[in-house]
Amino acid sequence: MRARDPHSPSQWLLGLILLLSLGTNGCGLIYDVVQRVVPIPTDELDSICDRHRVQIGMATEPFLPFVFPAIWTDEGARITGLDVEVVKYITSALSQHCESPVTPVLHLVRFQDLFTLLNEGQLDLFVSTVAANTPSPSRAGFAYSIPYFYNGDISGIAYRKEIVERVRANLRAEEENPPPDGLLANERALAGLTIAVQKLTTSHLYAEANLTANRLVLCDSLPAAFEFADAATDPAIDVILGAEPVLGFMVSRVRKDWQLLTLNTGAPLFLTRDQFSVVMAEDSYRLRWFVDNVLFKLDKSGKLVELRKRWLEEQYAFPRRAAAEGLPFDVEKMVTHYDQGTCRVEPAH
Amino acid sequence: MKRVWIALTAVLLTFATFQFVLLQSGWAVERGEAEETARLLAKLLDAGRSVIEQNQLLIDDRHKGNKGFTPEVFEQQLIQEFRQQTGIDLSKVHSMPASVTLPPTAKELLFDLVLASKEVVSDAQVVINQRGIGYKNFIPATYGSQAAARFSKQSHIRLKQTALHPRNPKNEPDDYEASVLKRLSGLPRAEEYVSELIDHGQTLHVVMPIYYVTACLTCHGEPKGDLDISGYPKEGHLEGDLAGAITVMTPLTVGGVNR
Repeated sequence: MRARDPHSPSQWLLGLILLLSLGTNGCGLIYDVVQRVVPIPTDELDSICDRHRVQIGMATEPFLPFVFPAIWTDEGARITGLDVEVVKYITSALSQHCESPVTPVLHLVRFQDLFTLLNEGQLDLFVSTVAANTPSPSRAGFAYSIPYFYNGDISGIAYRKEIVERVRANLRAEEENPPPDGLLANERALAGLTIAVQKLTTSHLYAEANLTANRLVLCDSLPAAFEFADAATDPAIDVILGAEPVLGFMVSRVRKDWQLLTLNTGAPLFLTRDQFSVVMAEDSYRLRWFVDNVLFKLDKSGKLVELRKRWLEEQYAFPRRAAAEGLPFDVEKMVTHYDQGTCRVEPAH
Repeated sequence: MKRVWIALTAVLLTFATFQFVLLQSGWAVERGEAEETARLLAKLLDAGRSVIEQNQLLIDDRHKGNKGFTPEVFEQQLIQEFRQQTGIDLSKVHSMPASVTLPPTAKELLFDLVLASKEVVSDAQVVINQRGIGYKNFIPATYGSQAAARFSKQSHIRLKQTALHPRNPKNEPDDYEASVLKRLSGLPRAEEYVSELIDHGQTLHVVMPIYYVTACLTCHGEPKGDLDISGYPKEGHLEGDLAGAITVMTPLTVGGVNR
């Protein structure tokens, strides 16, 4: 469509003409004429085309299999995962749109900083298992794409078998004596348990809003939650809450000593429904439409289902995929000596 | 006039003969120098791999953030390891005893490789210093690939890790390397290297075999077919088996190393 050199002399000439036209009547006409000759970036999509780069944020805390930890490969430091593949699809579509290659510049930052950086305009978008439908002031003021991953529902895992049994017993008791307010069912299933959540993720926001009687342990990352639990620090973590695809992946491949909380039927216990979306600035209307269209096409073509299968069901080793198809990232933005952090016990509500 | 022609012809003939003799002797000396330089470069890359291997537990320690495995620490250990393997102390190159001979071209190239290796360790700091993450894939092979690639990019010499069945397709051997590796795989372990002129004598190709040690077998040993920590099927190798080779390709000119 367009191929522009942002530093061409005509751009300077354009600036001069615009400056001169400020004091004249009919400057809109001049602007229109100039715009035909040298189009000026009018929105965030044009701006990406001009830069030939798209600034993308990703959490440095791993959300397996969506974002794996940064590792070293034969090609250098790389990051991989389902979310990275989504980024590649979006970037490829941007390159097509801009008619010149657009490079994704990945910024690996702490999950909580993604929102700040987007707010400050340092990112065009970010992708990190963020649910679009989380009612919280901390999620206000941002725009969420249509989902790229359905069923990112919140669930829990436990290390001790008696906890799993206790939750089931609570659920059985509820079936026998349903509470007057059915909405309290989940709260009662987890009654009296110490629950760990990753700070500012949907599981944290959910727990804060709905599990008011539980003791909460706020962790900087999922690895930190496991580390806290392994250390048997008082209070012992009974349950770790999080997105079921992440927790399910962890207990089936990485932490096989933990298990998902299940209903008496054996089906996973879900606390709420979630869908993962790409996050953008609220006023990035064209970029939002663009990303929505890319995701819609991926969904319609069956690619999203393929992605899900590829990352959640297939047997693979992420270092291999990181080496073969991972993306490099901007090292400068990554926290030096990145620490997966720790956990702290929240004061009782 | 005739005398002038005779004199001119004589001068030209003398000059040509002198040049021929000089170049012939220059050829023999320069090839030897290039060969020794190639051997030392291969040794230095191998020493770097050994340093990474010796620090593997530290690098993969999930409980530690800042590992202190800085490029400077790596450099010190690299120099020490190289000294143990070759007797050459890169930190005292200028005051080395006469018994240790270092080809003039080697000095600069060895320092270039040290620099490239340090850059790799420097770039990997963000990965190495993650706390809470165990395996980071910063292993001898991935270090070696990057160090060799960076060095080769800045130099006229091509340094490469290769194997008959490499995990990284970029490390596939060329025909010559494959033939040498096949030959070596049937022989008992040897510290020798294979050196040959290829491309009609234009290029010196040095192949230095590397062998599996105990630490390698966690990923490359038995049981064959089981997936290792990085997800590759184990090859079922035993200690002392041929792991592959470090190869060095040096373009030569008639006058010697083409620098």
